[in-house]
Amino acid sequence: MSNHALRQTTASDDDSSTDDVESPTAVRLESVTHEYGANGGRGRSGDDRTVTALRNVSFDVRAGDIVGLEGPSGSGKSTILHAVSGLLVPSDGAVELLDTDLTACSNRERTRLRRRHVGIVFQRFHLLPSLSARANVALPLVQAGIPRAKRRERAETLLEKVGLGDRIHHLPGELSGGERQRVAIARALVTDPDVIVADEPTGELDTATGEDVLDLLMDIGRDRALLVASHDESTLAVADRVVTLRDGRVVSDGG
Amino acid sequence: MTSTLRRAGRRLRAVVGLAVAQLRRSPGRTALTVFAVALAVLSVTLLASLGVGVVQTGEDGLDNADRDIWVSSDPIDPSASGTANPIVGSHALAAEMSERDDVSSAAPIAMHDIYVGTESDELERTSAVGVHETHDGFGFEEGGGFETEMNHSSGEYADGERPSEPENEEIVLDPDTAEAHDIDVGDTVYVGTSRESAANHEFTVVGISAYYSQYLGSDTETIPLTDLQAIAGTTGTDRATFITASVEDDADRDVVVAELDEEYAAYDVRTSDEQIGAMFEEQPLVLASGATLIGLAVVGGIVLTVNLFALVAYQQRDELAALRAIGLSRWVLAGTIAVQGLVIGVLGGILGLVLTPLLAAGLNYLASSVIGFGKLLQTPLEVYLLGLALAIVVGTVVALVTGWRASRYARIQHLSG
Repeated sequence: MSNHALRQTTASDDDSSTDDVESPTAVRLESVTHEYGANGGRGRSGDDRTVTALRNVSFDVRAGDIVGLEGPSGSGKSTILHAVSGLLVPSDGAVELLDTDLTACSNRERTRLRRRHVGIVFQRFHLLPSLSARANVALPLVQAGIPRAKRRERAETLLEKVGLGDRIHHLPGELSGGERQRVAIARALVTDPDVIVADEPTGELDTATGEDVLDLLMDIGRDRALLVASHDESTLAVADRVVTLRDGRVVSDGG
Repeated sequence: MTSTLRRAGRRLRAVVGLAVAQLRRSPGRTALTVFAVALAVLSVTLLASLGVGVVQTGEDGLDNADRDIWVSSDPIDPSASGTANPIVGSHALAAEMSERDDVSSAAPIAMHDIYVGTESDELERTSAVGVHETHDGFGFEEGGGFETEMNHSSGEYADGERPSEPENEEIVLDPDTAEAHDIDVGDTVYVGTSRESAANHEFTVVGISAYYSQYLGSDTETIPLTDLQAIAGTTGTDRATFITASVEDDADRDVVVAELDEEYAAYDVRTSDEQIGAMFEEQPLVLASGATLIGLAVVGGIVLTVNLFALVAYQQRDELAALRAIGLSRWVLAGTIAVQGLVIGVLGGILGLVLTPLLAAGLNYLASSVIGFGKLLQTPLEVYLLGLALAIVVGTVVALVTGWRASRYARIQHLSG
């Protein structure tokens, strides 16, 4: 079940090397430019009202790195997260996920890579209201055709890990905001991904709950590559490095 | 290969499980949609049962009349043929037919609008059927029937010397007519084809029966044919609506019909089964209404169910997009919605089929107490199969449409926040 390719490599590196051996690169963006409306928009010509979301963005994230993305609304934070998850293909440049160039992959391949290697945490949780916490967490495993007993076992383990061992049968509606985000984090981790992208993970939570959720994310995401987009200073404070964006350009790469 | 199949099987089971979980969490919505499909199925099974029952009742009626062959002319329109009686020289025609070796008997039937009442200035307009006798199975509530000479064209009457005045002067009244005028068996009534002529003819009520009223849909009295022709003034032209004939036991009915049809090209010669079909063909409005009702019910059921599930898919568009983002395929997502539609279709179908015999029995009770038909709705196995097929079709259509809608929402564009 483990899709976590990088952790094993890092671990073996750690065994045989000193601490400052560089971790492998999990995500690399190379001169990425993206224009909305340029390659989408059925029945609309390319030069009709295109919006440039990213301009020549390059940076990389290593396994074990926590990288914050900061910038005002519309600066391109979400677009970067979507590009890293293979949810969109940028108009220009390359996006590498574990040394595979996503821009060269077919839709199906990108979906498979995302399912295996990327965990996504949304601002608004996006849990199915009619399913229990356990069923929500187990959902991503359905696609892989994993047997139900194993799905449940894995989901329960993760819910215990995020401190919701006594809430596995609760519906999202019966959980607090913080608890829902924990369920969403457990869901993002259920496939044991190498990369976790979180879009404003504390945006819907109060400060104290937000900090708890953040701690959890740091703890669980420790040996994975973690990209967090946020407006929130305290969220960004936990990052090893903060990439600042303005109008789709990188104005400061904390590294 | 087997592991691929096994994974697909697990996915399918999970999809079904998800769908059932969703349905169970919204019992109100589930019940409503099941009800909608059940209504569509019921409308089809009940209307089909009605169709089968009406045809069956009609056939039973013709069987009671014990006539194998029906000869008519022009379209049979009950609203007009009561006065039209297009067959001329009907007794001669019937006599000619009965001379064939394979025809055991033949007799004309006429229909007219008449006036009837106990006082000559208090007459009611009603319909009358003229036959030579009231046959078995006439269902008399009181009294009995009449019997006149089988064929007035034979012997001394052959040359058109039929009596121009009523001779038997007997009448079987419809129960409603009898009740309205407070008439009992043995009473005398005035009968005529106009208010003026009615005063000249007094008939004795020999029985009370709703036999022809059932088939014609209005109060209908029964009078000896020659008497009816006499008061209608059609004795000379000898007009009738039908000529009915029975074939000999050893004769092939279809062959006789074919030969008669050829011999009497000016007339429509049909078997009693065909006659029923022809009568329904003459009622396009009734058939169209039935078809429209079924169509509306089916479309209504589908539209309601599709709309509800499309709405569910729309409400959950963020979640669907999010699930797509975390790697669930469009098929799996569409499947969870589609399976819900299919489950609804099947449940609604079963409910509809279970309710069919209950409602049919209820409607039969109503029909027998209001219009006197015993078993108007009849539901053979085929009708149940039709209902089940419809439920599956509705379920599949709902599944396809809603699944497709759900997959449209499972896109990154719907991922807000």
